[in-house]
Amino acid sequence: MDEQEKLLEECMRNVKQESFQMKRCMDKDRLMDAIKHASTILMELRTSSLTPKNYYELFMGVCAELNHLQIFMLDEFAKGNRLTELYELVQYASNIIPRLYLLVTVGVVFIKSNENSRKDIMKDLVEMCRGVQHPLRGLFLRNYLLQETKHVLPDVADAPLASSDNGETNSVLTQSGTVFDSVDFILANFAEMNKLWVRMQHQGHSRDKVRRERERQELRLLVGTNLVRLSQLESIDIEKYSKHVLPGVLEQTVSCRDAIAQEYLMECVIQVFPDEFHLETLSTLLKACSELQPGLPPSLTLSPSFPLEDIVALEVALVNLALKCYPDRTDLVDQVLQNVDVIFQKQHVDEVPGDSAVCKELAKLLKIPLDHYQDILTVLQLPNYGKILAYLNFKPRKEISLYVAHNIVDHCTIISQQEQVEALLVMLTPLIEDHASFPVDPTDEEFVEEQTVVGKLIHFLKAEELDQQYLILGIARKFFGNGGIHRVCYTLPTILFAAYDLAYSYYLSEAEDPKWSKKCQKIFQFCHQTISVLAKLELFEVSVRLFLQGALAVSRTPFENNEQVAYEYMTQAFSIYEEEISDSKLQMMCVLLVIGTLEKIECFTEENHEPLRTQCALAAAKLLKKPDQCRALVAAANVFWSGKVRGGDAELRDTKRVMDCLKKALRVASQCMDNLVKIQLYVEVVDAYSLFQLRGVDQVTDETIVQMLQKIQEELPTLDVSDESVHINKYFQNSLDQLKKTKPELPF
Amino acid sequence: MNFLGFGQNADIEITLDDADKRKTAEIRVEENRKEKLLLYYDGEGVSGKIDIKLKKSGAKLEHHGIKVEFIGQIELYYDRGNHLEFTSLVKELAGPGDLTQSCSFTFDFPQVEKPYESYTGNNVKLRYFIRVVIARRMSDIVREQEIIVHTLSSYPDVNNSIKMEVGIEDCLHIEFEYNKSKYHLKDIIVGKIYFLLVRIKIKHMELAIIKRELSGSTPSLFQDSETIAKFEIMDGAPVKGESIPIRLFLAGYDIAPTMKDINKKFSVRYFLNLVLVDEEERRYFKQQEIILWRKGEKLRKGQPPPVTNAMQTYTATSTVRADPQEDASDEED
Repeated sequence: MDEQEKLLEECMRNVKQESFQMKRCMDKDRLMDAIKHASTILMELRTSSLTPKNYYELFMGVCAELNHLQIFMLDEFAKGNRLTELYELVQYASNIIPRLYLLVTVGVVFIKSNENSRKDIMKDLVEMCRGVQHPLRGLFLRNYLLQETKHVLPDVADAPLASSDNGETNSVLTQSGTVFDSVDFILANFAEMNKLWVRMQHQGHSRDKVRRERERQELRLLVGTNLVRLSQLESIDIEKYSKHVLPGVLEQTVSCRDAIAQEYLMECVIQVFPDEFHLETLSTLLKACSELQPGLPPSLTLSPSFPLEDIVALEVALVNLALKCYPDRTDLVDQVLQNVDVIFQKQHVDEVPGDSAVCKELAKLLKIPLDHYQDILTVLQLPNYGKILAYLNFKPRKEISLYVAHNIVDHCTIISQQEQVEALLVMLTPLIEDHASFPVDPTDEEFVEEQTVVGKLIHFLKAEELDQQYLILGIARKFFGNGGIHRVCYTLPTILFAAYDLAYSYYLSEAEDPKWSKKCQKIFQFCHQTISVLAKLELFEVSVRLFLQGALAVSRTPFENNEQVAYEYMTQAFSIYEEEISDSKLQMMCVLLVIGTLEKIECFTEENHEPLRTQCALAAAKLLKKPDQCRALVAAANVFWSGKVRGGDAELRDTKRVMDCLKKALRVASQCMDNLVKIQLYVEVVDAYSLFQLRGVDQVTDETIVQMLQKIQEELPTLDVSDESVHINKYFQNSLDQLKKTKPELPF
Repeated sequence: MNFLGFGQNADIEITLDDADKRKTAEIRVEENRKEKLLLYYDGEGVSGKIDIKLKKSGAKLEHHGIKVEFIGQIELYYDRGNHLEFTSLVKELAGPGDLTQSCSFTFDFPQVEKPYESYTGNNVKLRYFIRVVIARRMSDIVREQEIIVHTLSSYPDVNNSIKMEVGIEDCLHIEFEYNKSKYHLKDIIVGKIYFLLVRIKIKHMELAIIKRELSGSTPSLFQDSETIAKFEIMDGAPVKGESIPIRLFLAGYDIAPTMKDINKKFSVRYFLNLVLVDEEERRYFKQQEIILWRKGEKLRKGQPPPVTNAMQTYTATSTVRADPQEDASDEED
């Protein structure tokens, strides 16, 4: 058993002994003697040797005994023994602790027996308790006062008007008090208790600081009870709260200049009073918050860092409160953010370290407005949001950015103002640009997902005005252009598609905007530059695709000079293909894309179309692998047949060139060494033949087709049985079936 | 006196009028013993009956006269045999002669002047008594009956509060105020202590009532101090700006009115001593004399004083100054 337990046990033993004596006196109706024993019991509470925890134990024991005394006195009063001098008699006690505990006990008995003097007694008790300046003993004494008066506090709003014939009613009420007296009483008690509580911090050795702070935390409930009591007064309405209750509480909270107290008390205020009250007094609350202790006094630099996270946590609570009560008042939320900013500045915080508690709280704080408004536009209206975001270091900042991006995409928030776009993109910088100390792994799934979301987000940057939209795209392009090779492939293409759309929109509204044509030129120039950036970064495949897509977009947007532009796009695609793409698979794919694109473009005159289509056929024939050549040639044939030139509605229908392509394809197929591949190609080519025949290429005769079919039939059995051969057989059979439907006269 | 077992002797009994109705008061007769006696005021008559009972029936009591006296006297303990009588009234009850049987006399001292209050101190005693003496040749038969006298005063015309700032430079500055300088014996001392500067670790603060008794005259001057009351008014260490209430009920203590230069023999004065004790048990104190006086009791019947009487607080006449450090203390203890 340690020293403390021994001490406590001894105190409790003394209490028990005296309590026995006290009860004997009560049995014999000797009140004064009983009070004397009670006074002796109370002497135990004068001790300085117990820890707060043990003092509390002792206090509870003593309170139980005082309760017996109180009941006994109440009985005496009920019997008609009016012991008016009792209030004086207990004050003869020469030691202050027993004296004041007894005074409180008797005072409460008086109040309970006769409410007339209630107001005076309350005032007297709370004032007399000043005599105990020792923090621990004072806190408990005042706690006793608060606890004993719990059910006797006046809780009526005002004294009713004096009745006409006499003023007695009124004077009785004046003496028994109104809720204002209760408020004054509790506020006075609260202020004194808080002072005592704060004072604990500054007594004793600085090496005991940690222990002291722990003890203070243990005792905080005693102080908070005052606020609870205030909140329990039913006749306090919003007006009384904002005029009489809150100012007093805040004044004390701010002026005590103690971080632990401020944090706890603000939390208390917010928790114990109803939200409607906070709603009405929000600006007062926020103002008080801004006046809270920014940090430790300079003389205490040795102590561990100030719990910023708690301040921020407090602000989190405040923001929640503000949003709950006043969903439309963004200024209030911003005010809170500003408070944080001010606090950080005062503390010279430049960057909050990641993984710290402050960082977590801050992230929480920043997510609240997003979650609440579900609308980034509102968040963008908070001038201080960005400032706070900037305190976070890269990782958490990125996390918030991503949260923002998801928020926009999930809620389809359209961002239509230039300034908003700019602000947003600044906010999203961690997603847009590389950070020196956080290298990007382009294969990382998270990264891919993140950039995909960013890409999606671009679609939501959409002005109502086309000119505006152009500017927005310019801004986006500027921001995303800095993204580096791993990001631009996700972002710039999206911008380009948006730009292509924009050009088309100008065309659709050509009647309204005489300058639309010039603007389209400008857009495509912008796109050209943008794609070139990608090409410079050696993102060739995507560049080719984008150029081709651009050519298509140009083609369907008949602005002035669009043919040249489209031609430029096509040639760019060609040249990148020719100069930069070496992988044969990619080459094959590109050729097919080019061919497909050209077939769809209708803006070229013969002069430009001819070299392009020839180039297609050439490129097809120049592919490395025979099967690729064969298939590309078949595809190229389409350009010669269904391609269109400007002015004419009709397709080219260049039978000769179609036949050249098809024949060449057949020839290439026959050159294949691998039977399997060769027959596969044959089947494909014969398909093409029959298709073109159907489309009207009269040089394709049934005879040719039948010959080819026979040839395939001969060759098929030579194939070894394998998955592939089964597949080819099936393919061939399908082709035949198809053919039979259109040409039932064929002998197959 | 009964030499050789013969001769007559007598018991004297003094019965004061209205003994059963008159108020009584207590007075200390020995160190720890109090006696309850009838109470008289200045100017009141003292009357009564004297019964003399002969112890032997049939024998006569020869005497040189019977008298009754009213005496007020001061006894200085260092000079036991030499009592100073400041009041002495005598009435002859019978001339010299013989008493043959028990007899009774009545007596009446009308409107007796009783200028001082009865007092039992450590070095001096002031008392009043009735003395019946049957004078005889050999030894007188004497009987004394003491009474108590209380002197009443009227409300003092001037009764200023006591207010003072004291301190030890750069260490402790306080300002204290007591609501009055003159208190009646059932009065309440109400006041406040303001702490203007606190740089010492105060443990507690108490208010003491000190009685100072000065008796005799040079060269035999005796001074005696006694702490009548020790009343803790503060527990723990206050900080600058605190004000601590004082409320001390005098009714709870054994005190008497201040007596100044009573018959050039003694004085009894009272002081309020404010004491601050620091953690090293050093005591800082300041004494102020207060005048105590006795107020005539006029109890309204059936109406006890309201509770608020026991709640008097001192309404400050001064407030704590903004920067107390600036005014250097000129009064130190």
